[in-house]
Amino acid sequence: MRELVARFLSQSISRRTFLKGLTTAGVSLTAAKDIVEALVPTAHAQAASGGAYKLVEGTGAECFAEQLMASGVKYVFGNSASEDAHFYEALVDRPQLKYILTPHEGPGAAMAAGYVKASGEPTIVMQAAVVGLVNAMGQMFNAYKEQTPLVFYSYRTDQSGRAGRDGFEEVANQEQIVQPMTKYAWLARRADMIPETVRRAFKAAWTPPYGPTYASWHSDYNDERVRAEVISHEKLDPRMRVRPNPAEVDRAAKMLLEARMPLMIVGDEVYNAKAIGKAVKLAELLGMPVTQARQIYANFPETHPLWVGNPPAARLTSLDYPKNPDVVINVGNKLQHNSVVPMVARDPKFIDMRIDSASMGNIIALDVPLVADVAYGLDDLTGAVLQLMTPAFKQKAAARAEEVRSFHERARGLRDLVMKNPDWNRAPMLADRVTREVAQFADPDAIIVHEAGSVALHGFDFNPQNGRELFFYYGAHLGSGVGTAAGVKLARPDRQVICLVGDGSFVFGPTALWNMARLELPVITVVYNNHAYSGPHSRVIEKVPGGRMVQTGRFFHDYLGNPDMNMALIARGFGVEAEVARSPEELRAALGRARKATMDGKPYLIDAQVARVGVAWAENPWTPPIRVAGERTRKV
Amino acid sequence: MLKLLAALVGVTLVMPPALAQQKKPAAAGFPDGPGKDVLVSKCFQCHSPNMWMDQRQDRRAWESTLYRMVGRGALWTEDEIRQMADYLGNVYGRKQ
Repeated sequence: MRELVARFLSQSISRRTFLKGLTTAGVSLTAAKDIVEALVPTAHAQAASGGAYKLVEGTGAECFAEQLMASGVKYVFGNSASEDAHFYEALVDRPQLKYILTPHEGPGAAMAAGYVKASGEPTIVMQAAVVGLVNAMGQMFNAYKEQTPLVFYSYRTDQSGRAGRDGFEEVANQEQIVQPMTKYAWLARRADMIPETVRRAFKAAWTPPYGPTYASWHSDYNDERVRAEVISHEKLDPRMRVRPNPAEVDRAAKMLLEARMPLMIVGDEVYNAKAIGKAVKLAELLGMPVTQARQIYANFPETHPLWVGNPPAARLTSLDYPKNPDVVINVGNKLQHNSVVPMVARDPKFIDMRIDSASMGNIIALDVPLVADVAYGLDDLTGAVLQLMTPAFKQKAAARAEEVRSFHERARGLRDLVMKNPDWNRAPMLADRVTREVAQFADPDAIIVHEAGSVALHGFDFNPQNGRELFFYYGAHLGSGVGTAAGVKLARPDRQVICLVGDGSFVFGPTALWNMARLELPVITVVYNNHAYSGPHSRVIEKVPGGRMVQTGRFFHDYLGNPDMNMALIARGFGVEAEVARSPEELRAALGRARKATMDGKPYLIDAQVARVGVAWAENPWTPPIRVAGERTRKV
Repeated sequence: MLKLLAALVGVTLVMPPALAQQKKPAAAGFPDGPGKDVLVSKCFQCHSPNMWMDQRQDRRAWESTLYRMVGRGALWTEDEIRQMADYLGNVYGRKQ
């Protein structure tokens, strides 16, 4: 009866259903009507709050589900957990919450992260206690590095009444395990604190700079009956979209206008703030070349005449043009440093515009810091530049824009020389050939999910303004690609989604293929399969040049053949149609079949056979002579 | 001869410090030859030569390697690639 009243007050059920429920419970019709009348003022008061506050009475798990809905969650990603029984029970009467079962926590978390990144909508990923959590933590690490606002939950398998007794899934201080890679990790101390803990996790995750959070509680709290307040996210969101310091904006504008050769670096905060058009406007106003160091998204149209390409070696000095910028402005790029050399040298003046103030000024010295939501920051800076603009500055910008355009066009032609490789038509294929075939095949507004670590993309002309989009990776925990692609397709069902993944990455996380098949997510997955870890192969040689490994050809760590893995067979095992392509002709035909399959709503996988190229690869690479056959004494 | 040597030493001693700093040390393992300057200016801006100094392959294979670098963002003309392939095929060609 109490639950019935709570559901009526929380508007989970209608007045008629409430009346019916009361009479079914044995209350006379007259008495039931009296109860309804008595409750109507309270119900109206709750409605007047815009549904922002609800008093929920039920199990802890029901309160959890109600808070998820109030936090704006539509999809819940999770792996099976018997201690979440009451949560599953709560889902039955709450069809607004759509639960997606993922057969492994890692790709499941990648799928959830892909959904968040492509939709901008909140979600939660659930794991079974610490045993499931540690599987998901690889993708939690990626979410932390990539600043993805993803909420993780797992119960503590020890119940509050018998904690610390070495249960088979128990570990002490479970919530502390994730602390170095979350913005917030908290344990609800009572069942009625579940909604509060959950909504705080969403608030922390979705307050810039974004990042993953973790909520947990003893599993028996899910079963306990409680009364708790549920509050909608909008009543908690601090709406941290801040404008930059106006004095610093004026300094930056003056510096940019007076620069001989300014250069803009763009980053993922531009994509997240939907500020691509604003970045284009500022660049055009100043005739300023634009580049981007490693990020998840393409944050500037690569077809724009002011685009000068990515620095091949991350550092700006590896750009062919411009060679000596005197002012560099970074808009929203975390500037990941994988070497001791600063990406921006000490010479040029440096303007850093970002919301992530914690990572500013750590490596590259700041001349003008602009802590801001980059959409507002670009608006304000553009306004300041316009105010200071003179005919002379305008003329200088126009002349510079012409010089940049000239380089842009020349560079486009030079990039296409990749197709003049004398091995262009070989089989097994060059990775570049696979890339170019896919680039020529992809829809003009395709979304490319890229987790082929050793493969550099070319020919796609990414344009986040209604053209092709890129979803690369920034954290290095492998196995995210297939799951991310599934999540992206879930969020953007009307866009072609192509997943490019290396064989090494693929085998870390193929289980999301099953989700693609079950949910009818028509993603095309192309595996660059050279039966090897190419990146580690090359980097090891660079660290030990001319060493014993090279002299003997004995590499212990990089060859995945003998026997070769067949990714098409793996895909079929998950219910995804697939084939192996050995030559460019076979790949082109396979892509045609993939298009047909996806038009019919089915995912498709192509295992593209790629050549191993580079230093010290043998035709049949050596493998360590570890065979148990000689040690067996029985035929069992 | 002694006078000439003394004169050369003198020139070296009076060379302005800035100019002296601009003189780059010769790249070890890269003997002079046609194409070397292009190679040094184009390749070393991204990475050290450590990795591929171990490679021995014919000119065509080097050409293929260089075109793969184009796929990784190198902006070179066909003529520059030809010069570098010639040099590498000559200096780091397949061992006989």
